[in-house]
Amino acid sequence: MAETANNQAVDNQVLVSLHDICKYFNVGRGKTLKAVDGITLDIRKGETLGVVGESGCGKSTLGRVVMGIYHPTKGQLTYNGKVVDLKKTRDRFNYSKKAQIIFQDPYASLNPRMTVGDIIAEGMEIHGMYDKARRQERVYELLETVGLNREHANRFPHEFSGGQRQRIGIARALAIEPEFIVCDEPISALDVSIQSQVINLLKELQGKLGLTYMFIAHDLNIVKYISDRIAVMYLGNLVELADSDEIYAHTLHPYSQALLASVPIPDPDREAQKKATVLGGDVPSPINPKPGCKFAGRCPRATDRCRAETPALREVRPHHFVACHLVESEQEAPAQA
Amino acid sequence: MADVLKVENLHVSFDTYAGEVHAVRGVTFHVGEGEVLAIVGESGCGKSVTAQTIMKLNPMPPARIKEGSIDLCGKDIVAASEKEMQDIRGRLVSMIFQDPMTCLNPTMKVGKQLTEAISQHRKMTREEAKKEAVRLLEMVQIPNAAERAEMYPHEYSGGMRQRAMIAMAMSCEPKLLIADEPTTALDVTIQAQIMQLMAKVRKETGTAIILITHDLGVVANLADRVAVMYAGKIMETGTAEDIFYRPQHPYTQALLKSLPTVDTDRSEKLVSIAGTPPDLFAPPKGCEFASRCDHCMKLCKQHVPPTYDVGGGHMARCWRLHPDFPKDQKEGN
Repeated sequence: MAETANNQAVDNQVLVSLHDICKYFNVGRGKTLKAVDGITLDIRKGETLGVVGESGCGKSTLGRVVMGIYHPTKGQLTYNGKVVDLKKTRDRFNYSKKAQIIFQDPYASLNPRMTVGDIIAEGMEIHGMYDKARRQERVYELLETVGLNREHANRFPHEFSGGQRQRIGIARALAIEPEFIVCDEPISALDVSIQSQVINLLKELQGKLGLTYMFIAHDLNIVKYISDRIAVMYLGNLVELADSDEIYAHTLHPYSQALLASVPIPDPDREAQKKATVLGGDVPSPINPKPGCKFAGRCPRATDRCRAETPALREVRPHHFVACHLVESEQEAPAQA
Repeated sequence: MADVLKVENLHVSFDTYAGEVHAVRGVTFHVGEGEVLAIVGESGCGKSVTAQTIMKLNPMPPARIKEGSIDLCGKDIVAASEKEMQDIRGRLVSMIFQDPMTCLNPTMKVGKQLTEAISQHRKMTREEAKKEAVRLLEMVQIPNAAERAEMYPHEYSGGMRQRAMIAMAMSCEPKLLIADEPTTALDVTIQAQIMQLMAKVRKETGTAIILITHDLGVVANLADRVAVMYAGKIMETGTAEDIFYRPQHPYTQALLKSLPTVDTDRSEKLVSIAGTPPDLFAPPKGCEFASRCDHCMKLCKQHVPPTYDVGGGHMARCWRLHPDFPKDQKEGN
């Protein structure tokens, strides 16, 4: 509960602000893949924003746009009130001092030819932080912060297990003392017993260093656990955004409802009681999408209006945003109850 | 209920340049007719190797069945020749894999791949086999099955490929279906579809299923009985209710607690299991879980615990279940 109170205090301090971010990929033959299509949201200082969705919904692309790994096709990124033009080398350099990323695959994201010490120190070197001796000291400190030993600095990534590598990835992200970290599915490549180790570590670091996280994942139980607010994405669009307790207690968008219903619960009785609301069909292709609500094709309640008109994200309850035509008409009755 | 499969004290090793890896180290379990047994464990615990050994799919050498017996519908799998295995695979036991794209032939139409399997084991004309293939695709709820049969795997989505795999596995009505992480590569909404489909297939055909997974949520949804594997051994086995509500082994208990659920309070710290699983090149002398266990005693590091029957087929491998272990300490966990 202390956390919630803390969040209210920093409520107005927006750290990262995305305005109408779009990322299109040209896939040849005049076709465009709209991976991220007009996302507007704010990430507040000290909070964890969870981003969930199925594969292909654009959540990782969004994370990469936020990090400046991809240039957005359209839209504006504001950091701490200042517009960041990620096409300018200088802007990007300064921004990378503040924002870091932890990647999904701890096997592919560490250079196999560098020692762990060099991997962690590289960022500090680039940003000219500390002298060499102090940097070495920092590497040891960081290794200990993430639960490894200082002797590990001279080893190479292949000598470590998946969970340990993910810790190295976290140490690297922390090295330049960032304020904001994008966690792109940091635990989905790890085993169950190791996942909770990494989650605990991330939470502990947030408390200690006051970090802001954008936590991208497809595991809804973990997102619920770690996030203060949750954004649900579907096919490049934001469909619902609210505080994490609110979104679970009053799920409004039909897609979010289906997504939550399909999460298997590790409890046989509750699993048996669960109503079968299995969503039919597959995620449609994001290449040249049809107009209207993107979820209309799979939505059990879709109307003609849904197929014709794209719904905008609106605030239907306090701090609860939904992009759905149907919620509007139902708003008065259930929302007040 | 007759047993479809009986595995007795199975040991499987791999001979590598670095030495011998004891992947499976004395596994005993059985699967009854029409029953769903889930084998749960982390990567490297030997769950997939166990499944592959039942089908004799791992190349020998380097793999080697050191000890033990596998009895599948009265057939001795360990002694069976490759030729006999070809008859057994598909007809008695079949398998679906984690990644449906790499398991389907990309150069063959899906319908053709299905008819190939059907004509291998069942006496049918080509026309009949084709009709049967479409019927199977309809059974796994692929829309426009006749049309879809004429398409290649790359034209299918991930969920549809997994459906096609299930259709193929069920084509000869096997007694036992082994599903090796069938939903791991899929999204949650598709995973829910596939789990529903597997429940339907089981109900309609009465096939026994071995479900191999690391996801305890999937287990809760489908399994009748659960075996928890760790470092090549079954640590605990029992009905799904036993495992989820009355876990006896510290590993199972920790595994269940380490998962956040929708109801987990955010200010609560997750229970994590410190350390990593042991190296199977040189398995530890005592209990495999001892180095990560909160209740570890001196005895655990020295001697491997035997399997204790807790009642009603619920068995666990832990010294704390020894009859002489003080009861009050058991309560204290």
